[in-house]
Amino acid sequence: MKVSNIPGDDLVTYSLGSCIGLVIYDPVVKAGGILHYMLPDSTIDREKAQNNPFMFADTGIPRLFKSVYSFGAKKQRMNIYIAGGAGILDQKGFFNIGKRNYMALKKMFFKNNVLIRKQNIGGNVNRTIRIYISTGDIFLKTSGSREKKV
Amino acid sequence: MSTIQELIKEIKNLKPVPAVISQLLEIVDNSDSSMADIANIIQYDPVVTASVLRTCNSAFFGLKTPAESIKDAVSMMGIDQIVEIVLLKSTYKSLSTSQNGYGLHEGAMWKYSVSSAIIAKQIAKKFNMQNKNTIFTSALLKDIGKTVLDRFVQDSFEKISSLVVHENLSFSAAEKKIIGIDHAELGAMIAKMWKFSPRMVKIIRHHHLGDISMVKDKEIAAVYLADCICMMIGIGVGADGLAYRFNYEAMKELGVASDDISLIIAEFAQNMSAVEELLKVV
Repeated sequence: MKVSNIPGDDLVTYSLGSCIGLVIYDPVVKAGGILHYMLPDSTIDREKAQNNPFMFADTGIPRLFKSVYSFGAKKQRMNIYIAGGAGILDQKGFFNIGKRNYMALKKMFFKNNVLIRKQNIGGNVNRTIRIYISTGDIFLKTSGSREKKV
Repeated sequence: MSTIQELIKEIKNLKPVPAVISQLLEIVDNSDSSMADIANIIQYDPVVTASVLRTCNSAFFGLKTPAESIKDAVSMMGIDQIVEIVLLKSTYKSLSTSQNGYGLHEGAMWKYSVSSAIIAKQIAKKFNMQNKNTIFTSALLKDIGKTVLDRFVQDSFEKISSLVVHENLSFSAAEKKIIGIDHAELGAMIAKMWKFSPRMVKIIRHHHLGDISMVKDKEIAAVYLADCICMMIGIGVGADGLAYRFNYEAMKELGVASDDISLIIAEFAQNMSAVEELLKVV
C-alpha cells in the first residue's frame, strides 16, 4: 500500500496479474493511495494477515481508506478506480483467484456504500496502474500496449 | 535458412551453464549420495566455489563466522541452501537479459525464474514429493527457450497476439503455429544440448501441459502449477499476459485445492522481500 498527499508524487503498482489494484483519491484535499492485494480472504491464514494485512482484500482495503482519511479525505468525495483480477485461460470457479479478488471487493463496497467510478477488470492481460497526486489522473498500462490515461 | 534451422544455430551459440549443474543434479536427488559427495562436486569448480562463498558470506545470510570452504558453508547453511545458491549462480547469466518480444525488462526474467523455482519447491515440500532439487532446477530453467525465441516473437508479435485474441489460442500454441516451435520445445532442446537429465528435459518440454497426457506426471504438474501461480501474482507476466491454459486435471493429480493455492501465494508473498534480497546477492 502507498498513500500520499504530496503534490509531486506519483504512486504506481506494477504487474497486477490476478491481484487487484485499488486506487482511491479525494480531489478536494488532493490525497490518495493505491493498494495492491493478492488474495480475497485473510481467514485462510490469520498470522500472515497480521504480519502483512495488505496481502488480503478484507484486511487491506479498510487500511487503505483509513490511511487516506488521515489526510482529511472523505469517503463521499473519493474517486475510486480498480484494475487487475485477470485470469489464466479456462481458470474458473474457486480456482479463479482474480475473480474472487474482485468479488471480495465488490461485496465490501456494497456493504459500505462505496461506488467504483471506473474499472478495468478480468480477461487475461497484465496491468500496471499509476496515479498522480497533484491532479488525481490515473494511467493504465496493459500487457503489450502503452500507458494510457483512464 | 528456415526459422527452425536459424533457431538451432542460435542455441548452439548460447553460452552454456557451468558443467557443475548437471553433475550436481545427477547426485543431489539421489538418497545414496552424502553431503561430502555434493560438496566435492562444487569445490572442483573454483569459479563457482569462490562466487558461492562470496554469497554465503554476504550480509544477507548473516553468518557469525565466515565460511572458508564449501564444506564450511554446507555445515553452516545446510546442503539444500548451498545447492540452491550454486544453481542460482550458475544460471544467472543465461536468465538475466531483457526479453523485448515477451515484454520483460532486464531482470524480470530472472525474478520470474527464481520465483518459479522457489514456488515449485514450496509445492514439492507441501506434497512430500521426491526430487525437490530437480523440480527446483526445472522450474528455474523452464523458460530458457524464451531467451532465444524472443527475437522471433518480437518479429511476429502481431500475428501471435491476433491468434490469442481472435482464436482463443494460448500464447504458446500461437507461437507454435506462427513460428513453428514454442518456447517450451526450444527450452527442452537447449536443456538437452546442455546435457541435462532426460527427466529435466521432459519437465521443461511440458511445463505448460500442452500435451494433456503429461498431466499424470506429478513433477511436471508441480512446475506447471508454480508457473500458474507466478502468472496469478503478476511475476514474469509480459506481453503474453496470462494467456496460457489452466488445467484442472493437474490440480486433481497433485491433490491441490484452491485454498492450497492461496496458502502457497501467501507464504511466497511473506518471503517476497527476502526473495528480492536474494536476487540481489546472487
